[in-house]
Amino acid sequence: MAEPAYTVASDSETTGEEKSSSTFPEIAIGVDIGTSQCSVAVWNGSQVELLKNTRNQKMMKSYVTFKDDIPSGGISSLLSHDHEMLSGSTIFNMKRLIGRVDTDPVVHASKNLPFLVQTLDIGVRPFIAALVNNVWRSTTPEEVLAIFLVELRAMAEAQLKRPIRNVVLTIPVSFSRFQLTRIERACAMAGLRVLRLMPEPTAIALLYGQQQQQTSHENMGSGSEKIALIFNMGAGYADVAVTATAGGVSQIKALAGNTIGGEDLLQNMMRYLLPESESLFESHGVKEIESMALLRVATQDAIRKLSSETSVQVDVDLGNGLKICKVVGRNEFEQVNRKVFEKCESLIIQCLQDAKVEVEDVNDVIIVGGCSFIPKVKNIVSSIFKGKQLYEGMNPLEAAVRGAAVEGAVASGISDPFGNLDLLTIQATPLAIGIQADGKSFVPVIPRNTTIPARKDLVFTTIHDNQREALIIVYEGEGDKVEENHLLGYFKIMGIPAAPKGVPEINVCMDIDAGNVLRVLAGVVMPGSRQPANRVMEVRMPTVDDGHGWCAEALHRAYGSTLDMVTVQKKA
Amino acid sequence: MRCHGLAAISGSENRFLCLPAANPKPFSFSAHRSKPLKFPSRIGFVSLRAKAAVNDGFVTAAPAELSFYELLGISESGSLPEIKQAYKQLARKYHPDVSPPDRVEEYTKRFIQVQEAYETLSDPRRRAIYDRDMASGLHLAFSARRRYYDDEVIEQRSEWKNRWQSQLSELKRKSKYKDAGGNMSWASRMRRRREEQQSD
Repeated sequence: MAEPAYTVASDSETTGEEKSSSTFPEIAIGVDIGTSQCSVAVWNGSQVELLKNTRNQKMMKSYVTFKDDIPSGGISSLLSHDHEMLSGSTIFNMKRLIGRVDTDPVVHASKNLPFLVQTLDIGVRPFIAALVNNVWRSTTPEEVLAIFLVELRAMAEAQLKRPIRNVVLTIPVSFSRFQLTRIERACAMAGLRVLRLMPEPTAIALLYGQQQQQTSHENMGSGSEKIALIFNMGAGYADVAVTATAGGVSQIKALAGNTIGGEDLLQNMMRYLLPESESLFESHGVKEIESMALLRVATQDAIRKLSSETSVQVDVDLGNGLKICKVVGRNEFEQVNRKVFEKCESLIIQCLQDAKVEVEDVNDVIIVGGCSFIPKVKNIVSSIFKGKQLYEGMNPLEAAVRGAAVEGAVASGISDPFGNLDLLTIQATPLAIGIQADGKSFVPVIPRNTTIPARKDLVFTTIHDNQREALIIVYEGEGDKVEENHLLGYFKIMGIPAAPKGVPEINVCMDIDAGNVLRVLAGVVMPGSRQPANRVMEVRMPTVDDGHGWCAEALHRAYGSTLDMVTVQKKA
Repeated sequence: MRCHGLAAISGSENRFLCLPAANPKPFSFSAHRSKPLKFPSRIGFVSLRAKAAVNDGFVTAAPAELSFYELLGISESGSLPEIKQAYKQLARKYHPDVSPPDRVEEYTKRFIQVQEAYETLSDPRRRAIYDRDMASGLHLAFSARRRYYDDEVIEQRSEWKNRWQSQLSELKRKSKYKDAGGNMSWASRMRRRREEQQSD
C-alpha cells in the first residue's frame, strides 16, 4: 500500500475561494459522505462511474481510527470486524457532530457512542476524543473529516491517475450555513476546493432530471414537465425535495429536512433491548465500551434482518453478567420507533405543502438512502401517495453520489456530445434567513424555498428616540423565535441620525449569489432624504466561529434592548 | 424600557403582517418620498436597485419597462405550459451556472427578473391581478401593487394549508410531542422526558 499522506494542510479559515488558474477543465468528483457510509463518483466522459477502494468496495464506512500517531480511515484500513470500530479508538458519525454546539440535542444523543463526546452545555463545541493507548486523545469533527477526505482524495487520485482538487459534496438539507463552513474548512484542510455543496435530495433531483431527459430523447418527445418527490433517509438525516423537471432543467420547488435517521432507530432499539444502557455505558470504561459495542452490533443486525423478516432472535452476551435473549418482532421495532416514522410522514407532507403540489400531481416518487429498505418507510410513502408505484430507476445507496458526480461535470463546464450534461438545477434555500426584530422574533428576509440566486430586502426601524445604533443579528432557520434558529453573525449599524423612534428607515438587504454566498447589506435612510444617512455596511455571512452558542446571550447581556429594531408596517 | 426591547409597532406581533414590507415603502415611487437605498454592487451582483424612483429593482432595473410577458417573451394570452417552457428556456440562458463567465453579473440580474415574472404569471391569482394592473396602465407601479400580491401569497398559502392541516394535526395528535426542539431527535426527547421524571 502506498505510504499514507496524512498531513493536514492548514487549519486556516480558507474557504477555497481562489479561482483555478488552469484553463483545462478538471472534472470535479462527486463525494457523498454519509453518517455511516461514504462513496465517490466521477463523470468518466460518457457516464457516472463509482470509484472503488483497494478492497474493491464502492461503499466505504465513514470513520477514522486513531492508533499511535497514525490515524487511518474507512477508505484504506481494514477492520476485521465491526467490533473493532467500536473499541473507543474510532470516531464515526462525524456528520452528526460537525458544526454543532454542546447544547445541541443531536450532540447529546451522541454521548452513548463508544468514543468520548463530552458536553459542558454552555454553547461551545463539544469535546470529542478517541481512546489511544488507554488515553482519551481529543480531536474535532472537522479534523476527523479532513483526515478521512485526505484518504479519499488519495484513493481517487490513484484511480484516476490525476491530481484531484475540485469536489462536489452532498450535504443534509437541515445543515445551517455555519455547518457548511465547517465542511468547507475540513475540505480546505484536506487540500480540496468545494465547487458545490448540494443538498442531498437535489443531487438526486439532478440525476432524475438527467434520466428524464434521456428518456424523452429516446421517445423523441417534447419533454413535458414532470414532478418528482424525493425522500432520502440515511443514518443521520432525513431529507425531502419536490422537483419539477423538463428539458434538462430541474427546478427545486421545496426542500425539507430533519436530523432523524437510522442512528435514531438504532438507539431507540438499543434502549428498548437494554433500558438502562445509557447509564450503564456512561462511564466509558473499557468493559462498558465492549458491552456497548456488542449491543450496538447485535441491534444493528437485528434491524437489518427485520427488513426482510417479521421477527428476529437477539441473543447476545454483553459480559458483566448482562445477557439479552429476546425475540423481537417487526411490529415491536415499528412501535418503538413510531415517532421517528411519524416525523418522516410529516416531513413529506410539509414539503408537498411548501411546494404547493398535490399528491395527484406527482409523477414519480423516489425513495433512497439506507433507510429506504425498511418496510415501514416504504409503507409511509406509499400510503401518502395512495399506493402509487415507487420509482425504480435508481440505486438507493448510489443515487446521491451519482447526482453529485453529474453536478461535478456540469459545474466544471464539461459538455457531452449526446447532451447528457445539458442540465441545470435551479436551487432553492432550504432554510429561511432573517434577523432579530420585534423583540426576540425571527423575521425572515429571504424565506425558505426561495430560488437562488436571490436578493430581497426589508425595512426596519428604531425602538427608542434618538437611537443612534442598531444591531443586525442574522439567523437561519424555521423557528418564530430567534433562539430556535442558527445564529450566523451580527454587526452594528452606527451613525443613525437623531430622530424620534420609528422614523429612521433601516434597510436590510440579503443577497445570495450563484455560489450560494450570503451577504447582508444594511443602510439607513431618513424620510425625505435622497442619500443614505451613513455608509452602507456589507457583511459576508456567517461570521460566527466556534462558541456561537453563547454569542447571542452575551450580546443580550451587554446591550439589552438598547440597539433593537422593529419591522415597519405597510402604509395604510 | 420594555423587556427585551419589545416595542412592536401596532400589529407587528403578527409576523405575517410585516411580510408585505418586503418591498420597502411600497408607495415611495412618488419621488418626493425618501429615495430607496442604493446598495453597492458585488462581484457577480450589480446593484439591483440601481434605478430611479420605483423601489423595486427587479422590475425596473436594466430592461426598464418590460412587462412580465415581455420578459418571458410570450404573449399576454400565453398558457401555463407556455409560461413554464419560456421560463425554463430563459433559465437555461440566464442562470449563472450556465451563463458565459464574462456576463454572469448581468445575467444573474436578468435571471432574478425572469424568476419574478415566472412566479407571478404561473400563479393564476397573482397573474389576474397583474393583468388587471396592466390593463389600467398601472404595471409600472407594479411594486406598489406587489404588496397585495404578498397578501395573496399568504392567503393562498393558508388556504392550501387548511387542506393539509387536518392531516398534519392528526399526525401531531398521534405523536403527542411538542416540536419545540425542532431538530431534536426522538431519543433525546425521551431522555429529556426521563430526566424530568427523575427530577420530579
